[in-house]
Amino acid sequence: MASRASATSRLMSMTASWKLSCASARHRKVSRRRPLLAPVESAACALGRSKRSPSVVWSASTCEALGDGEKLIVLLRDGRKLLGTLCSFDQFANVVLQGACERVIVGEQYCDVPLGLYVIRGENVVLIGELDREKDELPAHMTCVSEAEIRKAEKAEREARDLKGTMRKRMEFLDFD
Amino acid sequence: LFFSYFKELVGKEVTVELKNDLAIRGTLHSVDQYLNIKLENTRVVDQDKYPHMLSVRNCFIRGSVVRYVLLPQDGVDIDILHDATRREARGG
Repeated sequence: MASRASATSRLMSMTASWKLSCASARHRKVSRRRPLLAPVESAACALGRSKRSPSVVWSASTCEALGDGEKLIVLLRDGRKLLGTLCSFDQFANVVLQGACERVIVGEQYCDVPLGLYVIRGENVVLIGELDREKDELPAHMTCVSEAEIRKAEKAEREARDLKGTMRKRMEFLDFD
Repeated sequence: LFFSYFKELVGKEVTVELKNDLAIRGTLHSVDQYLNIKLENTRVVDQDKYPHMLSVRNCFIRGSVVRYVLLPQDGVDIDILHDATRREARGG
């Protein structure tokens, strides 16, 4: 317990100093930022949230051999899709994305919400896909809408899905054919 | 055991079904000790349901989100796999 608290405070201080250096480093090139990010990820591992030892080397076969700086789409467990350029990653699939934006798709509508620099914890990552630079991945019939509209549409879709779920549960309870 | 089994399957065409019901077909490029999978030439089985995946050609799938991996019919020697798993179960 005590060690976890000290590790947490270590991480907090590291994160705070990293945030400061990141803010000042915003105008610098990406390559210089990488050494600053490594301590955060290894500290996160040291908290022991995963059973694997942090000294396990990221297997060469699963390295993002495409090279860092690739435009990626990251699917998360809660269904979110984040696009961005790969800054760095580690053996737990923790990912640092630069220029991240969330692509929300509801039916025919879509919207890109710009987010900036994102650190994603590996356990929430479902899939990391390499985006073809030239192609725009959306089919032509999709329309771009503003953030407020897409949030409303998303909420409506979620409510409809929840309602369908509860109604089905009620039907099953009544053994309705 | 399965890590070595997947290593032998590298280069074969497989379909990976994830826990979020997304099914992806692709050529197995590599696998690691956590059974994370790297696929090349990926295409989603039901494209219209997942428009965001249209231009993804190579992807990395975290091992913990895989529900199952559909193997090519000719790529599997069932008896050898049966024997190996039986031996593993007995010994492990």
